[in-house]
Amino acid sequence: MIRIYRVALREYMENAKTKGFWIGILLFPLMIWLMLEVPRFLEEKGIPTRHVIIVAKDDAAGDISRQRLTLLNRQKSLSSLQQHLAKETADQRAEMLENTEFDAAELLEKLEEGLSQISPDAGAINPFNPEQLVEIGDLVPDELLLNDFRWKALKNLLLSQLPEGSAAFVEPELRFKEVSLPGDLTSESTNEEIENALRPYLRSEKLFPSNDENVDLFALVIIPENVFDGESQIRFWSTNLADTDLLDAITNSLSEHARNLEYEKREISTADVTEIAALRIRSNNFNPNKEAGEEKVGIRDKIRQYAPIGFVYLLWIAIFSVAQMLLNNTIEEKSNRIIEVLLSSVTTNELLLGKVFGVAAVGVTMQLAWIGSMITILRLKAGPGAEWVVDLMAAVISPELLIGFIFYFVTGYLFYAFLFAGIGSVCNTIKDAQNFMGPIMLILMVPLGTMMFIPNDPNGTIATAMSWIPPWSPFIMMNRMAANPPMSDIVGTGVMMIVSVIMVFWISSRVFRVGVLRTGQPPKILELLGWLRSSNS
Amino acid sequence: MATAIELKNVIKRFGEFNAVDDVSFSVKEGAICGFLGPNGAGKTTSIRMILDILRPTSGSISILGEKNASLVRDRIGYLPEEKGLYKKMTAAGIIAYFATLKGMPKKEARSIARELLQKYGLGSFMDHKCEALSKGMGQKVQVLASIAHSPDLVILDEPFSGLDPVNQEVMEEVIRDLKSQGKTVLFSTHVMSHAERICEDIVVIAAGKLAFNGTVQQAKAILPRRVRVGGESIEEVIPSLDGIVSCTPLQDGREGVLELIVEETTDSRNLLKSFFDAGIALDIFEVVKPDLHEIFVHLVGEDAREAAHR
Ligand SMILES: Nc1ncnc2c1ncn2[C@@H]1O[C@H](COP(=O)(O)OP(=O)(O)O)[C@@H](O)[C@H]1O
Ligand SMILES: [Mg+2]
Repeated sequence: MIRIYRVALREYMENAKTKGFWIGILLFPLMIWLMLEVPRFLEEKGIPTRHVIIVAKDDAAGDISRQRLTLLNRQKSLSSLQQHLAKETADQRAEMLENTEFDAAELLEKLEEGLSQISPDAGAINPFNPEQLVEIGDLVPDELLLNDFRWKALKNLLLSQLPEGSAAFVEPELRFKEVSLPGDLTSESTNEEIENALRPYLRSEKLFPSNDENVDLFALVIIPENVFDGESQIRFWSTNLADTDLLDAITNSLSEHARNLEYEKREISTADVTEIAALRIRSNNFNPNKEAGEEKVGIRDKIRQYAPIGFVYLLWIAIFSVAQMLLNNTIEEKSNRIIEVLLSSVTTNELLLGKVFGVAAVGVTMQLAWIGSMITILRLKAGPGAEWVVDLMAAVISPELLIGFIFYFVTGYLFYAFLFAGIGSVCNTIKDAQNFMGPIMLILMVPLGTMMFIPNDPNGTIATAMSWIPPWSPFIMMNRMAANPPMSDIVGTGVMMIVSVIMVFWISSRVFRVGVLRTGQPPKILELLGWLRSSNS
Repeated sequence: MATAIELKNVIKRFGEFNAVDDVSFSVKEGAICGFLGPNGAGKTTSIRMILDILRPTSGSISILGEKNASLVRDRIGYLPEEKGLYKKMTAAGIIAYFATLKGMPKKEARSIARELLQKYGLGSFMDHKCEALSKGMGQKVQVLASIAHSPDLVILDEPFSGLDPVNQEVMEEVIRDLKSQGKTVLFSTHVMSHAERICEDIVVIAAGKLAFNGTVQQAKAILPRRVRVGGESIEEVIPSLDGIVSCTPLQDGREGVLELIVEETTDSRNLLKSFFDAGIALDIFEVVKPDLHEIFVHLVGEDAREAAHR
């Protein structure tokens, strides 16, 4: 035992010293951080005020478009005010949360109820984004924002919520700013004249002179005279094809106006139209596998069904990352002939177990570091709300499920780890190893491909059949766990996995013993079979 | 004296080929034993079997009184023929690691590692990574790694190969030190001069078969005793002398020198006296002492050539 531990410890320490290990550990939180920060950064600072020219040959259309500019600007202002408020009140909210007991299950219940009342097209609401739970920007109607008086009142109301001693709120830069046509051009000029004159500015060849500063011209919007007929089109000029907020806002608002004009013309009341558009047919999902009275399928069940994908993926990553380490180390020991000294000190089994456990410990460290950094970042970014997520997950994933995941994770991991160590022992170079790895990688791709559709039919024929194939069993069973697979499948595949792991261990240990002392070409499959029978092993 | 290693009728077959073919020998406790044989004779294979890295096809092996090396592996030190180290570990780290695998507590292993490196002239390389060491230094580190846990029996497979003359001497010193500490040492080599200098016992194998097992003295007795003589009209006297088996002119270019093969009982002083009594003026009288190399060639000559063609 002590020898297994010592081999494992060396394996762990040596791997922990490699650059790859630290890059692996640090890269992941860095990536999450960037994923969270970059969009926010771009939103806050990255997008400078965009200067646009609106040439409206129809006055009503011009007014509507300009209103949209104001709306976008105020939305941005509101959002940054809200963020400021959230930041300044974070401590207060944390205190409040700490002092209120809340039951995750009850919360789920309420959430579910709440969600079912929101019509599907309000559906971008994600119950697991704690920030969105308190987002009010989306709830403030446009009319309010466009009313100068009420907008000011709203802002003052929000500002008054700032606790004492808070930092002052700094108004963000405008999202869009209209600039007027240069001197000799008017909205009466032809499109061609305007476009030719502005082309160099739109191409950013020149800065556009506006008042006393020169600015980068972002876009030119030409709205034709008879735009509401739906016949002529808006001409939108810009080199930036990604930022379509302005164009979308203008086309949407003009379309709405056009529709309203049309209703009026056909003498349909707009109130009726709104009412009719709000009509929704709802559905209720039931699961016949559940107890009477509990058949309703809620989000809890949905999460239960899809949460395993996370575990399948985790196992997959774990197997992949150890594969490389195990192959490298075994091949190093073999090509350095250290293996002979090792084998004079420890038995093949001790060596094999030590290596596999050592490398597993490296993998677990990495994953714990990832989970840890993810939670830390979530807490930093989302405040104490992140704990809800953990609590919610805990409410959804029962201990039985977790035990199942751990069992299949461990057996799946060991199955592949022993396999890779065995392969490493017969190869002299990484290149040799790649020949063996090809088929194994193909086998490993399968559960990755099926993991998305197994939850759709977790107890179907394909899923059940695949559960009984050892290399896939851990993945598929994890996938199915939440869907209450028959007990016979759980016990059966469980026993099968234990037997398979022992088998792979036994085979690897024999192959290892003969393989590590062998030099030259890797053996053919037939030869390998011979080794298993030979008394030497 | 107790035996440290004993092989009885050991056979190791690889496919159709007997790499070790019915070999029996023993190594006394506390002895330095040279394991001699040409390339491909089966030395490494035998050593691996002694260490239970390979299992014999048939026959039995006992080591330090046990049937199986894995039962006494903590008391054995092993330097394999092909040497290598973990590139990324430090010299001291690797010695300590191997010592802990032999059951030594960690702290002790670390201090021993440093002590040994200091003693054998690698003190300043202690914390260097193994990839930064020269081949010879690496080999020294590995030898030290095999003896750090103070084993009772040390098995060294070709410990001299790849070393420069200075380091070969250091290696010999290491082996003599082990002997003075009462350890048993078995080392294989195909270079006889080392064996000649440090062994008292030798085992010679050729083409998988045992050719000799005994002391160096006994080995030297295998070769016929030879005396080289030269002098005026010496040929005429020789037939009349007792105890001479044969007489042939020496082929090495010296004119008029004869090589006599004498009976084992013949005393060279009596022989010298008979020449004086016969009134011969001797130019040359030379008792040839066989060296290990000659004995080796004598024992394995045929097989060695055969093995080389395999
Ligand atoms: N694993 C093996 N498989 C097949 N033949 C082997 C193996 N190991 C050694 N041999 C053969 O056995 C013979 C003895 O090898 P070895 O014991 O290494 O000789 P030595 O160490 O005396 O030079 C050689 O002919 C070698 O080719
Ligand atoms: Mg050899």
